[in-house]
Amino acid sequence: MKLSTYLKDKLYAFLIFTIYIIILILFLIALKLTSSIIIFITAFTVAVFFIILFYDYFRKRKFYEELLDKLYSLDKKYLLIEMLLEPNFLEGKILYDVLDEVNKNEHDLISKLKNKQEDFKEYIELWIHEVKLPLASLTLINRKDKNTLRELKRIEDDVEQILYYVRCENANNDYLIKEWNLDTIIKNVALRNKDDLLALDIDFKVDNCNLKVLTDSKWLEFIINQIVSNSIKYKKDKDSIIEITGEDSDDFVTITIYDNGKGISKSDLPRVFNKTFTGNNGRTLSSKSTGMGLYLCKELCNKLGHKIEIDSKVNEYTKVIITIYKKGLYNLGG
Amino acid sequence: MEKILIVEDDETLRDELSNLLSNSGYEVLVLTDFKNSKEEIIKFNPDLILLDINIPYLNGEVLLKNLRDDKVNTPVIMLTSSNKTIDEVLSISYGADDYITKPYNPTILLLRINNIFKRMKKSFDYLEYDDLKIYPNKGIVVKDEEEFYLTKNEMLIFTYLLNNRGSIVNRDDLMSYLWNSDLYINDNALTVNISRLRGKLYDMGYRDVIVTRKGEGYLLK
Repeated sequence: MKLSTYLKDKLYAFLIFTIYIIILILFLIALKLTSSIIIFITAFTVAVFFIILFYDYFRKRKFYEELLDKLYSLDKKYLLIEMLLEPNFLEGKILYDVLDEVNKNEHDLISKLKNKQEDFKEYIELWIHEVKLPLASLTLINRKDKNTLRELKRIEDDVEQILYYVRCENANNDYLIKEWNLDTIIKNVALRNKDDLLALDIDFKVDNCNLKVLTDSKWLEFIINQIVSNSIKYKKDKDSIIEITGEDSDDFVTITIYDNGKGISKSDLPRVFNKTFTGNNGRTLSSKSTGMGLYLCKELCNKLGHKIEIDSKVNEYTKVIITIYKKGLYNLGG
Repeated sequence: MEKILIVEDDETLRDELSNLLSNSGYEVLVLTDFKNSKEEIIKFNPDLILLDINIPYLNGEVLLKNLRDDKVNTPVIMLTSSNKTIDEVLSISYGADDYITKPYNPTILLLRINNIFKRMKKSFDYLEYDDLKIYPNKGIVVKDEEEFYLTKNEMLIFTYLLNNRGSIVNRDDLMSYLWNSDLYINDNALTVNISRLRGKLYDMGYRDVIVTRKGEGYLLK
């Protein structure tokens, strides 16, 4: 708040005051007072006027400058009201109360939405829990029927995708980072995709994965399963290979999932981790892609503090590299 | 015959599970009274318990803890539809022997059950097939002081056939068994491995002991 702008704002006061001074001087002249007394009274009145004006200016300046300063420096602007002292003048008080009220209202709305989202998440988790029972029964009933089993597996994978979507969109993190054997996680992925891999005659190779990794086993299993499912989906017509290689170094473990499939074009590559991005491959395939798989991989990796990168060349290969940091080194991206 | 107790409250799933297990040659017991589940389980005295986490009255994890606190050391496999890591860690720390999430592959479930029974039995370091002594850990077969080497694949196939001697082994089950042992081989490789194994058995003096049943699988005589 600059003095000049403040004074400009008080222009009406100056006008009224000037008229008042003129009337005052005329009045005093009419009383036939000596000019020295007239000058004294006028000067005194002008001085009092300016003292009142400046006092008001400095009082307000302190509050408003603090207000603006904090507004610009705050990362979360809705916390502004918490950072201010209640001012001691009327307009300030009104502004303060208004901000407080608006804030409270917004806060109520947000917590209502948060509760709603939490309820929704709980319901989805419960629903998935429920739907897995008939799925398990159907798997047992149709254990001899390969085609039905494959369709059941598709349902299972899709259901799981929703579960992880709900989990990663929510603020609370229900994962558990612990030391796990990479081999076991990969074995689970392999067994889940065994029938597809064998039926489509894809060579599945695992190399140097007898490593310990700091992760959440279920989440990492889901991530690797998404990538392997993609590799199966976008395979070449013959001589298909999927190869998972582990590499141990001082600070991190990397897992490379390589396939010699259709690949991803250069223009699509930077966007494959975007939500609902389907790209060229996803649109031309008979079963449409949802564009959620890799997005979820990225989000879950961020939460776990892992890094995920992708490299590919059309009609040659796709390579996904997951980097898992060792103790003390992973930084949780939130 | 080993007795397996199923603790699962979904009726259809329970029936199908007991169907699968009794077809695989186990005696199946079913818990229906969940109110006094702990006492019922102790009365049943099973060799293995398949325990669901979400059961009425008492959560499966708590039930497991209570059983272990009462010094009931029956092996337990947790069967659950929860795929939260925390549930797995909790179950294992309460003393579960294995943890499988629904919906499970039936073959894998049977393999895991079999693994536990194998672990319980006094483990011999060798198996016998007529006058052959098979040492799975060393990868050798001994006949009259003479040693024959088998690769890891051949050894796994041979021991699996041997454990099911006299009955037909489904090619798919054999495949699941190999994949479950971290050997991700394809159909061709399995065929090649079987014929190599046949060749080696032939060298040991056993001719045509592995029979191919078209469309069904293999049989070790």
